[in-house]
Amino acid sequence: MVAQRKLMASPVVPVLLSIVVLLVVWEGAILLFKIPAFVLPSLGAIVYHAFTDTGRLMGALMATLGEAIGGYVLGSVLGLLLAVLLLLVPLFERIVMPLAVAVNAVPTVAYAPLFLIWFGLGGASKVALVALAVGFTMLVSALHGLKQPDQAAVNLMRSFGAGSLKIVWRLRLPVAMPSVVAALRIGVPRSMIVAIVGEMLGAYAGLGRLIYESTQQIDLLSVWSAVLVASLASMVFYGLLVWIDQRLVWWR
Amino acid sequence: MKFMRDETLSPAMPAAAGHAVPMLELVNVWKRFGAAQAQTVAVSGVNLRIAKSEFVTLVGPSGCGKSTLFNMIAGLLAPDDDGSLLFGGAPQRNGQLLGKVSFMPQRDLLFPWRTVLDNAILALEVEGVPRKDARERARAMLPEFGLAGFADHYPHQLSGGMRQRVALMRTFLFERDLMLLDEPFGALDALTRTRMQHWLLELWARHRRTVLFITHDIDEAILLGDKVLVMTARPGTVKSETRIDLPRPRDPSIVLTPEFIDLKQRLLAEIEEESRKTFAQEGIAS
Amino acid sequence: MNVFMQRLLCSPALAFVGLALVWELCVHVYAPSPRYLPALSTIAQDAWSVWPQLLGGFGRTLLETVLGFMLGALFGCACGTLFTYSRWMERSVFPLFVVSQTVPVVAFGALIVIWFGNSLLAKVMTAFFLTFFPVTVNTLRGLKSCDPQRIALMRSFGANRLVMFFKLAVPSALPQIMVGFRVAIGLSLIGSVVGEWFGETVGLGVMLMEAMNADQVVRLWVVMFACGVMGALLYGLLTFVERRLVWWRSES
Repeated sequence: MVAQRKLMASPVVPVLLSIVVLLVVWEGAILLFKIPAFVLPSLGAIVYHAFTDTGRLMGALMATLGEAIGGYVLGSVLGLLLAVLLLLVPLFERIVMPLAVAVNAVPTVAYAPLFLIWFGLGGASKVALVALAVGFTMLVSALHGLKQPDQAAVNLMRSFGAGSLKIVWRLRLPVAMPSVVAALRIGVPRSMIVAIVGEMLGAYAGLGRLIYESTQQIDLLSVWSAVLVASLASMVFYGLLVWIDQRLVWWR
Repeated sequence: MKFMRDETLSPAMPAAAGHAVPMLELVNVWKRFGAAQAQTVAVSGVNLRIAKSEFVTLVGPSGCGKSTLFNMIAGLLAPDDDGSLLFGGAPQRNGQLLGKVSFMPQRDLLFPWRTVLDNAILALEVEGVPRKDARERARAMLPEFGLAGFADHYPHQLSGGMRQRVALMRTFLFERDLMLLDEPFGALDALTRTRMQHWLLELWARHRRTVLFITHDIDEAILLGDKVLVMTARPGTVKSETRIDLPRPRDPSIVLTPEFIDLKQRLLAEIEEESRKTFAQEGIAS
Repeated sequence: MNVFMQRLLCSPALAFVGLALVWELCVHVYAPSPRYLPALSTIAQDAWSVWPQLLGGFGRTLLETVLGFMLGALFGCACGTLFTYSRWMERSVFPLFVVSQTVPVVAFGALIVIWFGNSLLAKVMTAFFLTFFPVTVNTLRGLKSCDPQRIALMRSFGANRLVMFFKLAVPSALPQIMVGFRVAIGLSLIGSVVGEWFGETVGLGVMLMEAMNADQVVRLWVVMFACGVMGALLYGLLTFVERRLVWWRSES
């Protein structure tokens, strides 16, 4: 009895249950309403297709992952550095922030064609696009986090003889960590999606390109397989980040 | 644990007090938290009686279960099965007390999105009083609480003392026979606190509600109360009950009279003992 | 220097004007290939030449964005509320919400057109797909962060759960919900633009696609600016609403 109650209370059970329900509803709807494959293929068919097409899918995945991770790291690092810079030099903040806000008012996807022109059809344009998308979120979150310590805390550090840089390193950065990590978490699914969108507009390789080609060829099964792979990869990437977060940022 | 009763009656008490039904009575009230092995006893075997219109103060070291006791009287927590809570002579089941007692917790807990007036009428709104009537009633009380002209201000525009007064006004407007005040003046500076104490006494003298007041300040406990209950260190129980037979109305200068100092000496000794125990407990725990 | 001059010098408007001037100057001095950086004046001219189409496209995309946002916001708030009060629902359905966001909506573009036809609804659905999640997450967070001491206070007044919800939970969650709205409206714009790529005749996304296919670089810039204006408009509107509804400083 106790074992049964423990099972019900575990976080995994409800999720598994709803996944099962989703599967049942999916396949059931197809059977019941006789949904043609071009509207909604059966999940089994998608998975089977994915297995047979593994080579192509994996190749595309690697290309997309490269762009996504590259842009993610680049954007996050630049965003954080820029935030620190803006904090240390208030004049820069007043100049840069309005511009950054304006740049961010334009949806990321609108930059894609421009970046394709500037950086070509290769991976670089997608990396730049991802970096832009991730970087701004990081900038805003990091700046918000870095500004959190109040003047009293800063003055205390000053009274110990700490210079501006030391204050940033020892006081502001640790306090900013939760905001930074929150931005990092948001960045993961975004980077995959932005990379794929960029590829759909123009690329030599990648899941986005695969999806685009498959759509042109009305090979919707391939589209769904690519989506499945993209989704799984995103989840693994996110899970990795959560794991790192729990190991490194242990003091929360 | 000892349970002493001081037999001298305060002149403020009517002679028939012993026969009237007490406003609030706790009989063998316990509260334990946690599972069998790692259980903490917050409150153990508390017995107390509060008569109508009495002003009772409760003192004790930190962590002695005062707030837990208050939460039980307000109906937020249920006492363990060993004991019972009687309100107006009737035993109360779990949650029955909710809405019957006017409770003021330590923090003012004002809603930042409401004006002073709307914060004051919060309890009345919950009760079902139409807003217009509630607002009128509150507006009439503003001068008495020193908040005249601040009806449309917001909490962040007020000082700590004023916010506490708004919270007190909210507690007063909720017209219930029993008022529970949990260290309402704890966060205030000494000067403001003295003024608030004086003002509270005047208010009580006018309205004569039954008040149970928690404090960690002995001076405050003796100055305000008809009766001071001292609680022991954890597990908390009532160590002693001391009648304060100082005359009313009480001037702030009463703290210098020999009677006051005598009472203070007695109570101080008791509380010192309990404070030491609390420190020792914490020392073992850390 | 009087106060007005000081205000002007420090305002963000100056940063923009300054940037515009620098832009024009650089183009005239360095004469980069117009493919990489056309002059601001050229962009303005091109915008003027197609202003009916631009205005029509702007209006259409705006409609899709706003509708998608409202739908997503409504659904998101409802789900957020449901998840707050039903732990079972939260544990089972919320992970599915999280997973849904790893699926690149672009991939669905073609499918959404199949399902909903080439209509306004399809674009609204795309926008909706991106907006419901941030609103759900932030509504959930906002409602859960309700001060337990205030809840206890309301209970001591004899308040029932419905009263507590409307008088306490909702107002205290409002700041966080607004944060969700901010994120959502930006994503809604992206959703509309992307949705328009899959079969539409009017809209900024359409113009973007056409400009890219016809290699009209200047037109790309025009559309980007138009998108930026829309983004700024939407964020500005939201800020205005926020200031009216959520003006109190939260205590945390």
